[in-house]
Amino acid sequence: MMNKKNSKENFLSRKQFQLLIVCVTMGFIIGYSYNQAKDNRDAGSTNKELLEQEDSYREELIAQQERNKELSEEANALQEKIRKYEKSFVASKKDYTKLVEEAEDLRLLLGDLNAEGKGIRITLQDGDYNPKSANPNDYIVHESHIFKLLNELKISGAQAIAINGQRVLANSYIRCNGPVITIDGKQHPAPFVVEAVGDSATLIAALNLNGGVVDQLLNDNIVVSLEEDQKLTMPKAKVES
Amino acid sequence: MWLPFLGLVFGLALGLLTNIQIPSIYENYLSIAVLAALDTLFGGIRAQLQQVYDDKVFVSGFFFNIALAAGLAFLGVYLGIDLYLAAIFAFGVRLFQNIAIIRRILLTRLDEKRHERNKNSIE
Repeated sequence: MMNKKNSKENFLSRKQFQLLIVCVTMGFIIGYSYNQAKDNRDAGSTNKELLEQEDSYREELIAQQERNKELSEEANALQEKIRKYEKSFVASKKDYTKLVEEAEDLRLLLGDLNAEGKGIRITLQDGDYNPKSANPNDYIVHESHIFKLLNELKISGAQAIAINGQRVLANSYIRCNGPVITIDGKQHPAPFVVEAVGDSATLIAALNLNGGVVDQLLNDNIVVSLEEDQKLTMPKAKVES
Repeated sequence: MWLPFLGLVFGLALGLLTNIQIPSIYENYLSIAVLAALDTLFGGIRAQLQQVYDDKVFVSGFFFNIALAAGLAFLGVYLGIDLYLAAIFAFGVRLFQNIAIIRRILLTRLDEKRHERNKNSIE
C-alpha cells in the first residue's frame, strides 16, 4: 500500500482513492434504485390501463346480456301470440286441431314451453365403490348410458325430457367430461335425474323390457331407480345469454 | 476535490444504464442500502466539517453499514419480523441529525465570516 501511495502521490492519494470508490458505489446504488422505482411506476400505470380496459369490456358484456334478455323476452311474447292465434284458429276450423296438437308437441320437444303433466323420473347413480375392480369406469355413469336412456324415452313417446332440471332439446348435445357430463355447455354431476313427461305406463314398460335399457344399466353396475310422478313440471329451456 | 464528484456522476450513470431486474423481495435491501450510503456520506461530510474526519472510519463505515443493514433485513425476512424497519429508522434519524449538524456548522461559519467582514470594514 505504501508503494502505491508513493507512486501515485501526486495524482491520486490513498484517501482520494477510497473516497472515489465510495462515491462510485454510492452513485451506482442511487442510480440503480432510481431505475428500479421507475420500472415499478411504469408497471403500475400499465396495470391501471389494463384494469380500465377490463372494466369497459365488462360493461359492454353486461349491456349485451341485457339486450339478449330483452330480445328473448320479446321472442317469448311473440311465441305466446302465435299460440293464441292458433287456438283461435282451432275454434273456427276443427280440421286443424290435429295440426295444432302436433305443433304443441313439437314446441314441447323444442323446449319453448313449460312442460307439465304425468311422467316418470329415473335416477342414475354411480355404483358403490368396488375394491375388486381396478377401473372406476366400471361403475360410474357414462354419457353413453344417458344416450341409451334418452333414445328409449324418445322412441316410447316422451314429450319432454329434462336432466337434472335442464331441458334436453332436439338439438341438445351431451358430452362426457370426466366425472361429469356436459349438456349444452352446462356441467352436471352424478346422480343424474332424468325426467320425462309422457304416458308413464308406456314409458315404464318400455324401459323395463327384458334386456332393455334398465337391464343394461344394471349390468353396468349403475344404481337405477324408477318412479312415476303424477305431476312433473319442467321449466322452458332458457336461452343462454 | 473534483475526483469524488466525478466518481459519483460515473456511478450514477452506471446505475441508470444497468437494466437488471431484481426480484421484488429484495427491494427492501436496496432501499436500506441507499439509506446506509446516504447516511455514511453525510456522516463523512459532517466529520470533515468538525475536523474529526478519518478516511478509515469513513470507508469501513460505508461498507460495514450497508452490509449490516442488508444482513438485518435478511435476518428479518427469515424470522418474520420487519427488522429492516429498525435499520431504516436508525439511518433515518442519523441522516437528519447529521444534516442538522452540518447546517449549524455552516451557519456559524457564515456568521463568523460576516463578523470578520464587518470588522474589516470598520477597521
